[in-house]
Amino acid sequence: MTAHIRQSAVAERSGDGPLDHLRTMVQALPVPTAPLTFPSREAALGLALMDQSFRLDHLPRLSEHLTLVDRGHMSRTLSVDVDLDLISGRLRDTLLVPGEAAPGGRASLWVPVSRYSRRDLAPVVIRDSNGEVVPRLSHRDANRVTAAAFVKLLFMLINAHDDVSAPASPIHRLRHTHQRSRWLIEAAITELIMTGAPAGQRLRTPLDYAARIDGAHPVRELAQTALDELFPVAGGDQLLIPFARLLQLAIRQYILVAQLGLDRPRRFLTWEAPLLPAQHRPAPLRTLTQNMLPVNREFVVEYETEIPRSVKAYHLTLEVRQEISVRRFLMSSDIDDEFVEALAQDLESVARRVDRLGSHHKLLELEMQGIASRLAELGRRRLVDLASYEAYLARLPIPVGAGSTSPARRLTADEVLAALSAGDCSLGVLAAFCAHYAADGLQHLARSALAGPALLNIAAGLRAVQVGRDVTTDNDPREHGAHAHWRRPSVELSPQSTEPVRVFAFMALADEAPALIESITRMVAGLALVVLGIGTLLSGGIAWLYSSRVSENFAPDQADAVVAVLLLVPGLLLARLDLPSTKSVLGQLHKFQRMLAAASVVVTTALAIVVGTVHSDREMTRLFQLALAALIVILVCCLCEFAARRTHRSSAVPRSTKVPRWLRDVRGTTRRTVEPDDLFDARGEGGMR
Amino acid sequence: MTSPGDATPANSTKSSELARIAAEAAGTHYSSVEFTLTHGSSNGHSMPLPSDPDKEDPTGWPTDFCHFSAAGLSVSTSTWPSAMSAFSGRVQIDRVDDAGQQDTYSYSGHAVPNPGFLNQSTRKVEVFITLGTTHWSPTYRETLMQALVIEKLTGLAAERDAPVLHLHTPVAPVPQTYKAERGDGSNERLRDAVGPCLRFSVGVDPSRSGTRLDFETELAALAEEYGFGLKLSDQRLNRVRGEWFTIRGFDRERYRQARARLFPDAPVLTPKRAVVASVVGPSRTGTTATAVAALRARGIGVLAASISSMRKTTFINLVLPVAADVGETPPQWSGGWLDALPRLSSCAGPLPSVADRPDESLIADWKVAVSPAMRCSYPPSGRQTGATFTGRVPYPLWLWWQVPHRTVDTPALLAEAQAALAPHTRRCEVAYAQSRLCRGDVVRGRAKLIVMLSQEHRDHAAVQRVLTDATEAAQARIRDRLPALGRVDPSRVRLRLSPRERWLTYADISA
Repeated sequence: MTAHIRQSAVAERSGDGPLDHLRTMVQALPVPTAPLTFPSREAALGLALMDQSFRLDHLPRLSEHLTLVDRGHMSRTLSVDVDLDLISGRLRDTLLVPGEAAPGGRASLWVPVSRYSRRDLAPVVIRDSNGEVVPRLSHRDANRVTAAAFVKLLFMLINAHDDVSAPASPIHRLRHTHQRSRWLIEAAITELIMTGAPAGQRLRTPLDYAARIDGAHPVRELAQTALDELFPVAGGDQLLIPFARLLQLAIRQYILVAQLGLDRPRRFLTWEAPLLPAQHRPAPLRTLTQNMLPVNREFVVEYETEIPRSVKAYHLTLEVRQEISVRRFLMSSDIDDEFVEALAQDLESVARRVDRLGSHHKLLELEMQGIASRLAELGRRRLVDLASYEAYLARLPIPVGAGSTSPARRLTADEVLAALSAGDCSLGVLAAFCAHYAADGLQHLARSALAGPALLNIAAGLRAVQVGRDVTTDNDPREHGAHAHWRRPSVELSPQSTEPVRVFAFMALADEAPALIESITRMVAGLALVVLGIGTLLSGGIAWLYSSRVSENFAPDQADAVVAVLLLVPGLLLARLDLPSTKSVLGQLHKFQRMLAAASVVVTTALAIVVGTVHSDREMTRLFQLALAALIVILVCCLCEFAARRTHRSSAVPRSTKVPRWLRDVRGTTRRTVEPDDLFDARGEGGMR
Repeated sequence: MTSPGDATPANSTKSSELARIAAEAAGTHYSSVEFTLTHGSSNGHSMPLPSDPDKEDPTGWPTDFCHFSAAGLSVSTSTWPSAMSAFSGRVQIDRVDDAGQQDTYSYSGHAVPNPGFLNQSTRKVEVFITLGTTHWSPTYRETLMQALVIEKLTGLAAERDAPVLHLHTPVAPVPQTYKAERGDGSNERLRDAVGPCLRFSVGVDPSRSGTRLDFETELAALAEEYGFGLKLSDQRLNRVRGEWFTIRGFDRERYRQARARLFPDAPVLTPKRAVVASVVGPSRTGTTATAVAALRARGIGVLAASISSMRKTTFINLVLPVAADVGETPPQWSGGWLDALPRLSSCAGPLPSVADRPDESLIADWKVAVSPAMRCSYPPSGRQTGATFTGRVPYPLWLWWQVPHRTVDTPALLAEAQAALAPHTRRCEVAYAQSRLCRGDVVRGRAKLIVMLSQEHRDHAAVQRVLTDATEAAQARIRDRLPALGRVDPSRVRLRLSPRERWLTYADISA
């Protein structure tokens, strides 16, 4: 047994066990000498809050309004529709706020409305549709009832354990004779929940600072052994993982709980979520390229969040400054990922067992038909997504390239099976498969070439093309705003799941017409004309432009006037341009263009200095020629920007990892993906990578 | 999909189920389940319905209900969370004296549910076993064979830690379908109400598809060995409950050989009397196999069975035949599993005593309620026996409903269904009914009714027309009556009554 404990102690030190935080805490806390009793009402409330906050199935609609405050910060306003009638009667009794039975005081419930990371510490104020502030459960109280819930849950698990009535077993001792060990576990859970431990951090305890501590303490040993017994590692997905996951969420996140009156069961609540900082991924070379070359940069923002699976509708709106246009806005969710993963695992299991299953031919046929029906459904769903994406491209103010992609080639059933066997799960193949399946053209699959190692290729193909992700497009007619409306599919493919849905949004912000680059091009062209005009007037003809001969009297007699023109005109033109601050998104977009404007002014200013100081005709001519050349180069850069903008506008699918692979493939985007300028991760766990 | 920093997988479906169970258990301040159990004989009179819940008391409404009747014997179970906490052991069961009701034996008890029994996220694999093609009148030998099959099947599931979600025998046989038939099932051959068939379902973790395939393969191997017919629920998308995929047909010769080889001495008589034994305890995997194996080791077969889990407490209801040469049988009794075994053995007649096997400790802390021996009755005939020229054939009807909790309780609803069918039928009994409280505070249930039509028809199409008309009319009548019965908003009631099991489904659009 000692060896066993050592082993678990080692596992805990390496910090990779699911319950390692709890085990560390059990080692570190002083052993309690009295039980830590919570009122049973609090335990019940805590469990009910935990349960409801996981599912959030009383929230039929969720909306998020994003505003890009500046480069690097995004403010979020969340609104939810709450329907108290969707909370079951039994839970409702538990969630009832006590002490409100006074006459006139109407009964109200504690209702969890969201979970958010413990790292976000800004205050949250919830308002209802009248603008009135809704009372919230304080974090301290929420933590206390959560701790009570876990203590209760642990007690229930101990009570239901097989060994609880077997004397001398660790569980029996924990329950009846050696209660200090149980109190220690309870104290450790309570401590963990009250203090919290955000994601990605190792738990620090005083033990890290002390040397030569004898870790062997009978009470602690029993506690550790009992944890091993209660949550066996073998078959850990039965109880260990669910419990550990529950505890992990409780110590990483807060539950946002509002007090809502039962007199109005349907409510609309809204609150400002804490300001979201961008996660920068420094890529100096790329930034330099974007800022120094005429590529007409776009500012790409990616946003990631989680929504409860039971939500029926989710709205994501984005608002930016009026000067900025939202060139592309695309949302993708992993709603069918779990289904695809289960399908891929089925495919792999069948592939490995084809020989055994083959002896029961009908069993293999049933499996194959089951697989086929699911593949066909995926093909059908993604085809619907593709159609909506193409409709989006068609209604863009600047239409995109080739229009709709008509299928390259129609496939026969045999061709479809051959393509799938080779691992080609592109949308065209899946759609053709769907059609053949619906037409009953795929009977007797167990006898086809598909039943065998080809299934492994399909599984790999399905995962590679991310066929479990859907696509929702922008439907906001404004240019400086965007709105995507995601709806839960009418038939949920993984009906039992309560796993939250991950949502990714891609937004490309750009400077569209009337854009700064247009004004700058006009200005540069104007300056070039000014220089050309002065040169032509001074030389008395346009021969100076192409001839190497130097005309006499090129150096003006009254240089002051020319200097004034060369200084004033660019200055006036520059002042007319509205150059934004470099901190803003617009500033980022205009970085290169601002440089062009500055360069043109530098050229004319330098020429003015030359006119004022140089008196030689020859030098003056050469410098006028040089200045004109420089301005023409700048003009060419401006034209390159136009060309680059045209390329960006005609790009059918964004080159982002957040866009599902199948969509990138279907439009033939084979170029590698690019990193976004800003990444905002609003998932409650704050998934640090 | 998890970020590399995460130590645990991101899937939280099971975690949320754990939280749900705990929340429901803790909501009543205590963590126990109260249940009532009624054994009865449905011979000659309608089924004994459990007493009405106290409708003023919101906690008096049962959350789960299960009724089962076969061979003229019936069991009803109701459960609800309870505030009772002080009792020793995991289960407590007591007799309740019934006032006046003849042949009715009631019990009430409490159990500590097992919150670690997480089965909601599992993928359900439903299995249909055919043990014969004639009408249902099992002999002692066949009950032993049935016990063996149940033991083997549930043993297979237990080996893989897959919980048995439900097991039921006898059930309506599935008619063989032919390609030429219309796919909608409208001219599907009429089914017998009961046949020597067995339905059971196990839950398998969707992420362990290998386990499921191994289970199915061994099931097919078992079917091959014993010759029983095997069908699996059709796993294709958009297929509903009641659609089956035949893996192996029933092999009469092989089944007969296996039966003769395994049980050469068992009498080939139909049991005249039987006892109902209900084994109750916290849900775990492998319990059914253990219980049935222990009985079979003592020479006790299984005439009929209904196994289900309600609120994480398992109820193994078995109808056990009483040997013809046993004279005096013990009266109504309840107690521990190990004490019940000698009592049950005495029903099987004189047999060498069997030493307790070590694996029986799995249910050693479970409790048993045993009824006294009661007289069995069997359905007179079935279509498949060829006894159709009289037209007096019992037909199955299926009922599915969803009503708000605390409005109409299941026994009342079933009685309403029987009353609504009365104009069209000579006899109508509930063979099986189960309802449970689901998400959204609604009670959802399913039942199978056995009816004898009042009009006798020999013509297949005519019977189908009569059945369809009768169910349509009855369905409308029940829907009309329910709002008045339970003061419930009619828009929240959903109910379907149909002679086809797979016609019960409502549009599967997530509401």
